[in-house]
Parts: sequence; C-alpha cells; structure tokens
Amino acid sequence: MLVSSPLSGKWAAYACLASTLCTLFTPAVSVKEHDFKKCHQSGFCKRNRAFADHAIGSSAWKSPYNILPESGSFKDGQFQASILKTIDDDGNTVRLPITVSFLGSGTARVTVDEEKRQKGEIELRHDSKARKERYNEAEQWVIVGGLALDKEAKVAYEDKSQITVKYGPSSKFEAVISFSPFSVDFKRDGSSQVKFNDRGLLNVEHWRPKIEKPAEPEKKEGEESEEGNKEEEKEEPPKGEDESTWWDESFGGNTDTKPRGPESLGLDISFVGYEHVFGIPSHAGPLALKDTRGGEGNYEEPYRLYNADVFEYILDSPMTLYGAIPFMQAHRKDSSVGVFWLNAAETWIDITTHKDSKNPLSLGIGAKKSTQTHWISESGLLDVFVFLGPTPQDLTKKYGELTGTTAMPQEFAIGYHQCRWNYVSDEDVKDVDRKMDKFKIPYDVIWLDIEYTEEKKYFTWDAHSFPDPIGMTKQLDLHGRKLVTIIDPHIKNVDGYQVSKELKEKEFAVKNKEGNTFDGWCWPGSSNWIDAFSPAAREWWASLFKYDAFKGTLANTWIWNDMNEPSVFNGPETTMPKDNLHHGNWEHRDVHNLNGMTFHNATHHAVKSRKPGELQRPFVLTRSFFSGSQRVGAMWTGDNQAAWDHLQASIPMVLSQGISGFPFSGADVGGFFGNPEKDLQTRWYQAGAFYPFFRGHAHIDARRREPYLAGEPYTSIIAAALRLRYSLLPSWYTAFHQAYVDGSPIVKPMFYTHPSEESGLTIDDQFFVGNTGLLVKPVTDQHRDSIDIWIPDDEVYYDYFTYDIIPTTKGKKVILDAPLHKIPLLMQGGRVFARRDRPRRSSTLMKWDDYTLVVTIGRDGKSAEGDLYVDDGESYDFEQGQYIHRKFVFDGTQKISSTDAEGRDVKSIQQGEWMKKMQNVFVDKIVVVGAPGAWANKKEVAVESQGRSWSASLDYSPAANGRAAFAVIKKVGARIGADWNVVLA
Amino acid sequence: MRRIDALVLLSTFSHSSLVAAKSLPRGVGPEFAKFFETEASFTCIGNPAITLRPSQINDDSCDCPDGSDEPGTSACAYLDPLSPEQPLRDSLTGTTNTTTSLPGFWCANKGHIGSYIPFMYVNDGVCDYELCCDGSEEYAHAGGVQCENRCDAIGKEWRRREDERRKSKEKSAKQRRTLVKEAQELRRTVESRITSLKQELEGLEIKKGDLQKKLEEIERSEKGKVVKTEGQGGKLGVLVGLAKRRVSELRDTLDKVLDQRDDMQDRVEQLEDILRKFREEYNPNFNDEGVKAAVKSWEDYAAGTPAEKSELSDVDIMEVLKEDSEETGINWAEFEEEDAVSDADIVYNLEAYLPAPVRDYIHAKVNLLRIWLIENGVLADNPTSSGESRLVAAARELLESAKSDFSSKTATLEDQERDLEKDYGPDDIFRALKGKCVSSDVGEYEYELCWIDRTAQKSKKGHGNTNMGNFVKIDTELADEEDRADGKGLGKGRRLVLRYDNGQGCWNGPNRRTDVWLACAEKDEVWRVSESEKCVYKMEVGTPAACDDVHEPGVRTKDEL
Repeated sequence: MLVSSPLSGKWAAYACLASTLCTLFTPAVSVKEHDFKKCHQSGFCKRNRAFADHAIGSSAWKSPYNILPESGSFKDGQFQASILKTIDDDGNTVRLPITVSFLGSGTARVTVDEEKRQKGEIELRHDSKARKERYNEAEQWVIVGGLALDKEAKVAYEDKSQITVKYGPSSKFEAVISFSPFSVDFKRDGSSQVKFNDRGLLNVEHWRPKIEKPAEPEKKEGEESEEGNKEEEKEEPPKGEDESTWWDESFGGNTDTKPRGPESLGLDISFVGYEHVFGIPSHAGPLALKDTRGGEGNYEEPYRLYNADVFEYILDSPMTLYGAIPFMQAHRKDSSVGVFWLNAAETWIDITTHKDSKNPLSLGIGAKKSTQTHWISESGLLDVFVFLGPTPQDLTKKYGELTGTTAMPQEFAIGYHQCRWNYVSDEDVKDVDRKMDKFKIPYDVIWLDIEYTEEKKYFTWDAHSFPDPIGMTKQLDLHGRKLVTIIDPHIKNVDGYQVSKELKEKEFAVKNKEGNTFDGWCWPGSSNWIDAFSPAAREWWASLFKYDAFKGTLANTWIWNDMNEPSVFNGPETTMPKDNLHHGNWEHRDVHNLNGMTFHNATHHAVKSRKPGELQRPFVLTRSFFSGSQRVGAMWTGDNQAAWDHLQASIPMVLSQGISGFPFSGADVGGFFGNPEKDLQTRWYQAGAFYPFFRGHAHIDARRREPYLAGEPYTSIIAAALRLRYSLLPSWYTAFHQAYVDGSPIVKPMFYTHPSEESGLTIDDQFFVGNTGLLVKPVTDQHRDSIDIWIPDDEVYYDYFTYDIIPTTKGKKVILDAPLHKIPLLMQGGRVFARRDRPRRSSTLMKWDDYTLVVTIGRDGKSAEGDLYVDDGESYDFEQGQYIHRKFVFDGTQKISSTDAEGRDVKSIQQGEWMKKMQNVFVDKIVVVGAPGAWANKKEVAVESQGRSWSASLDYSPAANGRAAFAVIKKVGARIGADWNVVLA
Repeated sequence: MRRIDALVLLSTFSHSSLVAAKSLPRGVGPEFAKFFETEASFTCIGNPAITLRPSQINDDSCDCPDGSDEPGTSACAYLDPLSPEQPLRDSLTGTTNTTTSLPGFWCANKGHIGSYIPFMYVNDGVCDYELCCDGSEEYAHAGGVQCENRCDAIGKEWRRREDERRKSKEKSAKQRRTLVKEAQELRRTVESRITSLKQELEGLEIKKGDLQKKLEEIERSEKGKVVKTEGQGGKLGVLVGLAKRRVSELRDTLDKVLDQRDDMQDRVEQLEDILRKFREEYNPNFNDEGVKAAVKSWEDYAAGTPAEKSELSDVDIMEVLKEDSEETGINWAEFEEEDAVSDADIVYNLEAYLPAPVRDYIHAKVNLLRIWLIENGVLADNPTSSGESRLVAAARELLESAKSDFSSKTATLEDQERDLEKDYGPDDIFRALKGKCVSSDVGEYEYELCWIDRTAQKSKKGHGNTNMGNFVKIDTELADEEDRADGKGLGKGRRLVLRYDNGQGCWNGPNRRTDVWLACAEKDEVWRVSESEKCVYKMEVGTPAACDDVHEPGVRTKDEL
C-alpha cells in the first residue's frame, strides 16, 4: 500500500484532470440544449403529445371531429364543408370550415380554419392589438403558382358517410374523405398512400375565454416536467383539461402573454407502406429521418421547426436550426409521396415507424412498415398539400410549382467564396486577392463580416480600417471578382445614425406587444428590427441600397443576410418574443418561420433595384429561410465547427436541402468555430467543391486559413479541388438551370436517381452532380486512405482522374483508394458532360473559353447523352431566349452530335450581344472515355457544322492496367452554340 | 536591360537571316526562338518524337504533352500540377500533372522590360499591364477587351521610380553604414569591457587567494590563543540569543509574506479588472452558458462586500517590521546587557550577596582578575560576539567582499559574452538600435516598437499599455507585395522579420505576438500594423537597418514575375 500510494495519487490526479476536461467539454453540449425548448417546455407541443398519448393509449378513442354531411359541396375541383368539433360532454360543438382542393398538377390541398376566429368573434386578453384570425397569409409569401384547380377532378362516390374524389393524371389519384370521424385517405392506383387523422390525433384548439380560477397559482418555469408526469395519469383530456399551458407561458426568463390563448393544431399523417421519410430541413442529422418517440437509436424529442440562432449546434439531433421547410417525403422502392405543411408558426413533428399488421398472411415477404407522423403547430391555419408522386422527381417538380424554384444564380455565385469573420481592412482584402492569384487559386468572391461597419451600423464603413472601399472593390473587379458585405436585420438603436432615425420615425420596425417599437439586443447592442412584412418598410429598405445611399458599394457588391431568424440575444430562445407584432398586427408567433425569408426577400429586391436599368441577378445569402426562399438566393447551414463530424454532417444536410426545394446550399468549408487540422481543411475543400454553394469561412477567434496558408502538400491539393470545381462549372451551371426549370436538386442522393434500388434509399454520404453521372463520395474521416462507395446500377463506372474502370456490382459497395490528394469521384457510363479546362483566376475570366466535352461510354456500346446550358451568367436576358442549351448524344458507335436541347430553331433567335460573342466560343476537344476498340486505328474524325465540314484529329490510347481505352478528339472547332456532328470516318 | 536588348537583337538577327522572313509565333520568348524557326514542321520541345504540322502551333488546342505547341494561347494552361489530373499520353508523368517546357507567354514590352506572363492570363479578357504593358496577351479580344500598348508610360514611370528608389537606396545605405559603424563601436565597447573584466578577474583571483590564506593564518593563530566560550553563557542568555534570532527570522518571513501579499493583491486587482472588462464587453449572444455562468458568478463575487480588511493595518505591520530598537519593539540591548552573562560574571554576581564593604573589595579584585584573564588570553575580550575575534572577522569580511566582487564580475562577463554571441542581425546592425523605440499612430491606437526588446499597443482612449510581444529572434521571410507609390511597403523578396512572442494574453485567445517585417527606408518608421487574426500582429517597419549595402538598380529578377 505504501508503495502504491504515490502511484494511486498520480492516477487520482489524472482522473481529476480527465474529469476537469470532461466538465470543460460536456456542458458545451448540454448547455445549448438548455437554451432551447424541449417539447414538454413548449405548452402546445406538450398538450398535443399528451393528446396523442391519450388517443393512442385508449382503445375507445374516437376523434371528436366530424364533417356535417349536409354542409359538404363539391364544385370545380374543390370540396367544401364544415367540421364540427365536439368540445364537451354536452355535445357542444365549434365549427371548423374545411376546403379540400384538387389542383391541376395532381396535388391535393386540405385547409381547415376556425369560424369564430375567422369572424373575429373572440376576445383577446391583455388589451392586445393582435389580429383575431388564424394567420392566413402564409400562402401569399410562399405560394407562387400551381393553385389552378383540377377541373377534371370528379366525385366517384358519395353518401352520408364519405365522399370519394378521383383526380390527378389519368384520374389515378383518389381521395376518400370520411365524415365521421373526419379523415382522408389519399390513394394512388387504388391503394392507400397518405392518410390524415387515421389515428385520430387531429386537434384544432378552438378559442375559449380564460375563466379565472382564484385559487390556482400562476405556473412557474421548471414545474412543468413534474406537471407533465402528473398529466399523463389524468383521464379524458376534454374534461378537466390541463389549462396550465393555455395562457401566459415562461421560458428562459421571458414570458409570452399569449393574448389569444391556446390555438394550436395537430394532425396525424400516415405514410402507408413507407418505411422512410425525408426532408423537413434544417436539422443536423441523417437524411432519412429518425423515430422521435424514444427507443434504441431514436430521438426522444420531435423534430422541431422554429428558426433560431443555435450557437454551436449539436449533431444527430432533431433540434431546430436556422431555417425551416415543412415539406416531408416518403420513399419506398419505386414509389414516392409527400406532404407540405404550410404553416409558419413553431412546429413539431413526431415520427414513428410501425410494422403493418393488417395482413398477417403476407408476413414473410410483405411485413411492410409504415411511417406515422404527428404534426403540431402553435397557431395559424391547418393547410396541407399532398403529393402522390410516384417518382421523387414528381415531388420536387410539384413542390417547385407551388413554392417556386431556385432563382437562376449569377455564374460567379457558384464559384468559390472566400470568407472570414473578418477581413480586417481594405488592405487585407486586397492582399488576400493578390495572394490567391499568386498561388494560382481561383476564387470569385471575397466577403466582409460585421466588422467592416462603423460600430455595427450597417450601411456604414469603419473609417480606420476601410478608408477606401471603392478602391478595394475596383481591384476585385479587375479580375471579375465580387465583394459580399453583410447586412443584418437589426438596426443599431443609437442617436445620430440616419438609418435608425428613419426606421423609428417611419415606424418600420417590428413592434412589441404594446405596439411600440421593439428594442432588443444584438451585435450592435440595443437594436430595432426592420419589419420586412411591411411593403412600405421594404420600399424604404430598398432605398438604403442605392449606390448613392450605401456609399462604397459598386455593381459588384452583393449582400449577405445573417441573423434573420431573427436572432435577438436577449430574447426567448435567442429570438423575438412571440407576442411581438408585425405589419397587419399579426403576432410574431404566427409568422416566425417566415421572418427570415421576408427579410431575405426584401434585400433581394433592394439589390435588384439599386439602379434603374441595371438588371443583374442579385446574389443574397441567407441564414434563415422558409419554403420559397429558394426564389431569392442561397443559404448556408450556419455556424458549424471545425471538426470531422461536422464535415460529415454537412453532406446529408446539403442533400436534404436539395430534395426540399432549396438546393443552393452549402456548409462553411473548414468549419466556422475552431481551427481545422490541415487534413480536415483539405478534405473539407474536396467536399466543398461539391456543395452547390461553396464558401470557406472562419470565426474571428480562429486562426487565418486562406488556402495558400495551409502549406504543402495541402495548398496544392486544395488548389486542385478548387480548380476541379471551376473546370466543372459548365456542368454545375447546367444543373442549376435544371433546378431553376423544375425544382430538381443539384446534388442528388441515391434514392432520387435510383428509386428502385431498395438498398440505396437511405444512403446519404454520396451523391450525383446534376445529370452529369458524376458520382462523388467525399472523404469525411481522418486517416482514411480508402473509401467504399455504393453503386446503384449496372453501368460502367470510371475513375474521374485516371479513367480506370472500377469493378462494380449493382447494389454493392466498391472500395476505392482515397489518399489525401484524391477525391473519390466516378464517372457513370453513358453520359456526356461539359468542362472548361483552362485554369483561370475567376469564373468571369472563363466566360469566353472553349469547352471540353467528356463522353463516357456505357455498358455494351450503349448510347450516351448529356446537356449543357449556358447564358451570360449575369443578366435576365436568358428569359428572352438569350441562352445556349445543347443536347449532346453519342450514338453508341461512331457519331457524336449536338442539337438544341429544347428543339428550338436556333437560327431564328435574334442574337443579342452575348450570343454574338459566343460565336467565338468553340468545342476544343472531346474526350471519349472507354472508347471502342474499333477506334484504335482511327486518326481522324469528320466534323460537320453550319453547312461546312472539316476533319479533326483523333488520338486513341488503348486500355492499359485497368485503365479504360480513351480517345481525344482535338481541335473540334465547332461553335458551342451551333448544331454539329462529329463522325468517325 | 542590356541582356534583354541583346537577346532581342539576336532574335531580330536570326529572323532576318531567314530568307522567308517568317516571324516567330506569338508568345515565344527569345530563348525559345530556335525551336520555332523551321517551317516545315514543329517538334514538341520536350517530346522530340512528336512532330506537328506548323498549323498546329498556336491553334488554341493543346497538342504537345509539354504544351510547347501553344506558346501564344492558353490552350495548354491546364498542364499543371494544380489542375485536376487527367491521363495524358506521352507526358513525363503520363498525366496532366506535368511540367511544361515554356515558362509563359512572352510579352516583348518594347519601351519597358520584356517578361513572361502565365499562360492562364492569356486571352482571359483582362489587360494585365503589370506583366504585359504592351497588352499583347489579349490579342484575341476575349469578350471585346482592347488592351492598348502602355509600355511608354509604364516604362517611363517605372524608370522614374527605379531612379528614385536607387537614390533613396543610396541614402539609406549610407545611413546603414553609419549604423553598422555604431554597431561595431558598440561591439568593440563590449569586447574591451570583456577584456578588462577578464583582467580584473585575474587580479581578483589572486587577491582572493591571498585573503583566504591570510584568514586561515589568523584563524590558526587566534585558535591557539583563545579559550573559547561556549555560546552565550547561561540558559537565559541562550534563550535571549535564540529569541532574537527567531524574531528576526519571523520578521524576515513577515516581510516576504507581505511582499507576496502585495503581489497577490496586484494580481487580484488585475484579475478583477479583466473580469470587469469581460463583464462589460462579453458578447451575450454567444449564449455560451459557460460564459454566462462566469459573468454571473463574477457579479455575485463583486456584489459581496469585500472581506473586512484585516484588522492589521499596514501601519501596524510596518511597525512590527521595524528593526527592534530602544523606541520600538523589544529593546534587546537591555536584555543583552543584563543577561550578557559570561562564566566570569557568575563570579561577578557573587557581589550581590555580600555586605557593601566586602562587595567593594571583591569588585575591585574581580576586575583585576578579569583584566588579568583577558590579557592572558584565558577570557575572550568580547564574549557576546559570535565567538570570533575581531581580527578574524575583519579578515573574513575582506575575503567575502573579494569573493562577491569576483562573482558579480564573472556574471557581468558572462552577460557581455552572451551579448557578443547574440544574433543582432547582419553586421550586428541591431546592436546600434537596441533600446531605441519607434512608434506610430494607427487608428485608435499608438503602436510602439522597441528594437530587440518589445512591441506595444497604447490605446488613445486610455486603457493603458498592452505588451504585444517580447523579442525572441531575427528571422527572414519572403515578402510579396506590390510596390507602393510612396515606397513605404515591403515589396517583393526576402525580408528581415523580428519575432516578438509571448506578449500579454488575449481573453479567449493566445498570447499576443508580433511579426515585425522590415524593409529598407531612410529612417526608422512604423508604416502600418495589422491584426490579421486575433492577437497576431504584423508590423511593417521601414529602417535603414534593413537596407542592402550592395544594390543593383534596374534588375528585375524572375522571382518578381
């Protein structure tokens, strides 16, 4: 003992040290969770979960919502009726008008309102000025089309208990609306896909006056959890309901006065026979959503959508983040369906998978699983769109028709963005700009975070560090580069600041519950928030961006909107009090999740109208977003960390954005907080080169990490990743165009491209780029020299860099070498995609470069095809047909041709300036990977275009050491915009 | 200049010698002209096995695996280790990750200096006048760009600036020479100081030996003489001796504790200052519970009434600390006198028991006896001293002082020798600047550089002085900046960098450090200070100390491309 005691003393010291470290790290995780509500801390979520527990737990449960049969009518693709909700044992009811609309696109929409609130027959507490109706303007912000009713929809069956409507393409869709209790069963080809109120969880909290009970003390924070437990033991909710969370509610020292009392909505939506659901970004978790009612590997909490500035967010969590898209999809082999929950209030979604037991005979093969979801929103209308697929493309397309598609970005916006909090001076910016050139690293945009301003007053410049913003911005323009400056929605509340003065005088700020300008705390200290819901405020906002108002900006200055959840440092959950009032006296509660979008939208339009006649497509990045934000800019996934697991998490997050209609997304490359190791930084650039939005960013406390500072071999590897991105810009731009046209994702998960492959449905760490057939799986682990990539089909796959044929098997993984310098990137056979191979300093400087086409020969001499979309990359002239859109086809044996992808008569298009200049841009070379052996002795091809023909040389390299044979056709010399044929002589 | 002219002449000559008077393909630099002279065919420079038709030269499509068929276009620019690798038959590596034979596109820049521009800049729609003042690299007018020939103006301006630079360099070099002289002078001073120190030390060594011997002698002789008393005599005497020693020990300790306390108080004040500032300046947004909790507990701490100042006031302590004397503390003298009891005193004290006349008698006798004893060396003359005779003490004192003189001189010598070894930069130049400071106003701060000492930031708002680093070493690094019109810039090339590390710590960050980049200037001046990342500063400073003594005006090296 004596001998060992010093040793054990030492061990004790180690243990002590370890535990100190633990206490240093663990709070960092738990703390953030404290800052944000759990379901049981959010009164309405707790009530609806309890409601669900009660309903599911009781075999005698009967939903108290019934359609009054005689109230129903069907006309022009729309069914209207009244739901009666029985509210007590005496059979008293409240009336809830319901509309079921069948849209021309094959989408169905169910809307439920509450008559009393609609008519304003309610009283508000606290003399509130808030509106009495349930919030009914979300549609105005979100929906831009696709609402035309399906005149072909018809009643297939109708009686006192139900009505069945057939609708959609070839009337394959069917909605069975049952009256008592109310439920809807959406079927496709006769079988159920999506069911509403199947489990009877529909809950529309009707208005009721507060009856003061003298004895009952006010609820305090912290008591809720105990209360929750008690409540579960309570019997029937309608009788002796737990009113503890109906009225004033507190969290984190803030009290929400809730002048309208309880008004939440709940609905169960079942996806019949679907094991997996996806979507509802943004969450830091896997692409396939997890169950949320506990159990091994599941979450305990529902997925939450309540846009918030989550500091150092945690991974693999259903916690809310900065933006919300309440669009959920369910996929199974060969079938996809979805729902879009149009509600901007705080929303929680419970998910449970359950085995279908309906058909015990099909046990062996068909023991199918279904996913049941429970949607809970705090206020507003119940307004849900139902998409019946059947393909993933149908979902994104139909959703895109409703909410709009990705705005066509300027081409520079899909290049590389160099950001940091902060570039400290105009000299610093110029220095980074020069260094990037010196190290031959391409980039397009350099960014300024909040420190460029004078004391965080937006639209001003710090005179000491940025004495010459114009000179700085002009230097950037020399090489076609851009500047992005941050402008946030909080306006410093200080005397002598014109913007603040006007904001207050004109009353354009969000108001507090008393109706006075709301004052909160953000970067500048005391601040007010512009209310971008107000048209007049937006007009004023636009005036602030005019070149003569925001001095120091030029036509190549663009904007970054941060903190627009909004982030209010001293507010509940770091955001605004819910009883704040917006334009039209809507409570913040009703519109919270829209707030970020309205501000982003205001800035987009402001930037667009900086100068009359100058119609450049705006670039505005946002942190907060909602359905529809895709129409006005790009988003990034917020304040991540320089850690391998954050790199990993970024991929499903970006994929989720893509399938949810907002594909112009990316994560901060390198990680915002902390200092990445060199290999992490390098790998992150390799992954970032495949984010649709590609920006390196770093926190103010992080060390400098511009790519050229990494040192060798890292700098060269990073430069190569950046150049890879730049050489593929034509293909990326084409993918963006596709997203603009039909809402397609830009990077596509396996289920999206190969919905028939069961084993790939939940894969979320690899993806295809547009329609290029480029399959990438970024390395996201340290010390990895190889990676396994899942192969979705029988096609041939070539290594992008070596042309090696990968020995693949459909539905299986194949291991690839992936040392640090290598990005696991494969080319699928049967594709044609375009590149621009000449390295340049920025995308703008590539504008007039010739193209390289890559043809990948498919299995068994199959044909190959692909397309290329090009326009001027900056203006709206493309809307007038000023663009080039080619379809390239290799016929499988000897001919490669280019035709207009949309079948336009190209010659008939009146050529504008850009089109004329493009006459000097040609196809330089065509690389044919996997070239047929029959070409081995060929030296020439015949090129025919625009009535002329000539020959071009062909250089054939036979297969060797696992590398496919390939041929390079040089100096093709055909105009990129013209029809042409290349034929093997 | 001359070299290039010669080359241009040469190429002109070789051209005219060709009967067909065929001009060189676009972009071919003079030293590669020879590869492009035959008319019938072209052989790739790095791949002689590959022969091309002349029409393939500069046809904007890359044919040679070394890129040599496209001296005048950007078609082969992707042959580069930084571009994504693709298989490329016949290249050295078998891929596009290869080296090319041509250095770039040759801009003749008549009227200025010819230079190569990277192929990737050719026909990209930007006039890169810095490298290609004749605008010849944008001959294809990509996107409609027109690059006029600006060589006359640019060349003229460049020559003017070059001339200015040369003159300034000459002046600066002169300054530098003065500095070098000063530095040499200083070095010599140190060297001569070392020499004299060494001599002194030799003398001291001998003296020390002598004194040692002397001491030993005296000790020996004294030992024979002295009948040593054992300590201080009686029990009380021993106690007094111990007590006195103990009290002085305690006093010393108290003194030290007091110093420590003062240090700690300073530190607490500093910490409280930091925390106060932290509470005022922390960013509540970060929502970092750790930070919030820290702020909260600080507030609690600050709100709590400061612990009652100890009842002991400093005045009291100072009182205690005072050397004991007749007025304060214990008057040891009193006790010592009373209790300075020697063996003889016991006898002496017998007096007290005797009747007065006897006492007087004995008193006289004892005194006589005492004198006798002392004279005969039986009794030491000062029994209360440390038991050494005055002679010995004096000898010891002399020796000790010689020793301490020796060791302090040795230390000084070592210091000086170290100083001589220390890196003061080329020609020892910073020896001349050491201890001098330069400062400049930048924004809300004044920055100060003290050569070979420290860097500091002084807030004009009066938050005091912040140490931005203490001098560590002299380094060099490659600067790459554009020349500034006022010449106050680092320019391009290898520059001296003084590293200052471990300055005041940053909250939530590292200790401050500063890299002081030096460039040649006529006088010492802090040009600019930047903080490119938190608490890491770059100071750009002009000084004659950084000038080259030898200079060749007018030569642009390839580095500068």
